[in-house]
Amino acid sequence: MRRYFFEILALLLMGGSLYFFVECIHYLDQRDYISAIILLFIGLAVISVGRELARLALVQKD
Amino acid sequence: MPAATLHARTTDANLGRWRTFADAVAAALGVNLWVSLVLLPGFVAGALATPFGQIAALVPLGVLGLGVWRRSELVLLLGFPAALMVPTAFAPEMANVHVYGPIRFAIVALGLVGYLFGASVFTSFREPPPPVGRRLLASASRPVPHRWRRRFRVYASLTALSLIFPLVLLYTINFDDKAREFVLRRYPGRVAALTTTMNLGAVSFWILTYFWFFLGVFRPHRTGDRDLLSELDKIRRQTGRARPRPQFYLGVACALILMVALFLLRGQ
Repeated sequence: MRRYFFEILALLLMGGSLYFFVECIHYLDQRDYISAIILLFIGLAVISVGRELARLALVQKD
Repeated sequence: MPAATLHARTTDANLGRWRTFADAVAAALGVNLWVSLVLLPGFVAGALATPFGQIAALVPLGVLGLGVWRRSELVLLLGFPAALMVPTAFAPEMANVHVYGPIRFAIVALGLVGYLFGASVFTSFREPPPPVGRRLLASASRPVPHRWRRRFRVYASLTALSLIFPLVLLYTINFDDKAREFVLRRYPGRVAALTTTMNLGAVSFWILTYFWFFLGVFRPHRTGDRDLLSELDKIRRQTGRARPRPQFYLGVACALILMVALFLLRGQ
């Protein structure tokens, strides 16, 4: 049960990080570079959290 | 004369010849680079007209001579390329885009790559002493296995990419018509500063990409490296732990802090 919870959460976080990258492109288009860089790092941070949860899901599977 | 003494003398003579050859190659490639990067741009930009400019132009040659004399890889591969920037630092017009047209840029880039390759190969490679006896292994007569040929292809393609990536990035920033027009239109009066920043950004981006992705591919192949093996063992142990690693908490904290920062920034 815990494994599925981690898997769904990891998928949500990794998919959700795409939103930040899309927003980053929008901000770049508006020449708002500071906000774009911040959004880029938020996206990377969210992906790293998702990756860690995916690892925990794999540990649960084993 | 005993055979062992004769063998040792032949070995010393071979080694001496190789060292002289390596020194000559490193010096020739270095002087070629100095002419391309310092002497010719200095004449074109008029930076060598003053005594100070002439002294600055001679600094890299001194460093090159020191590197060849000491046969130091650190001086040849780091000190000399860094010293080449000294005259440019005092006369930035030497690095002007107009001094470096696309063809000259390509020639200088090839000269730099050739110097780095030459200096790194010829200062580290020495002809091994000739063996007293020789016995071929059975596997030596067989063709090179498929997996090894594939590995060599990967190494060759990574080497080619490590040359192509930075060259394309720098060419696009400095010589691509669309990019130049965009910078001229958007940043009038700050073109030189912005171009320098973009060049530095491209170089930094490439160094990070190389370390993360290119060397990342090579690392698992270094199976004889004791430090790497202990690190891999540590990672394997960490991977098996059913608890979040510090990266998890760091990621959560960074995401939250940056979201708050963005919220405050956009709220102003």
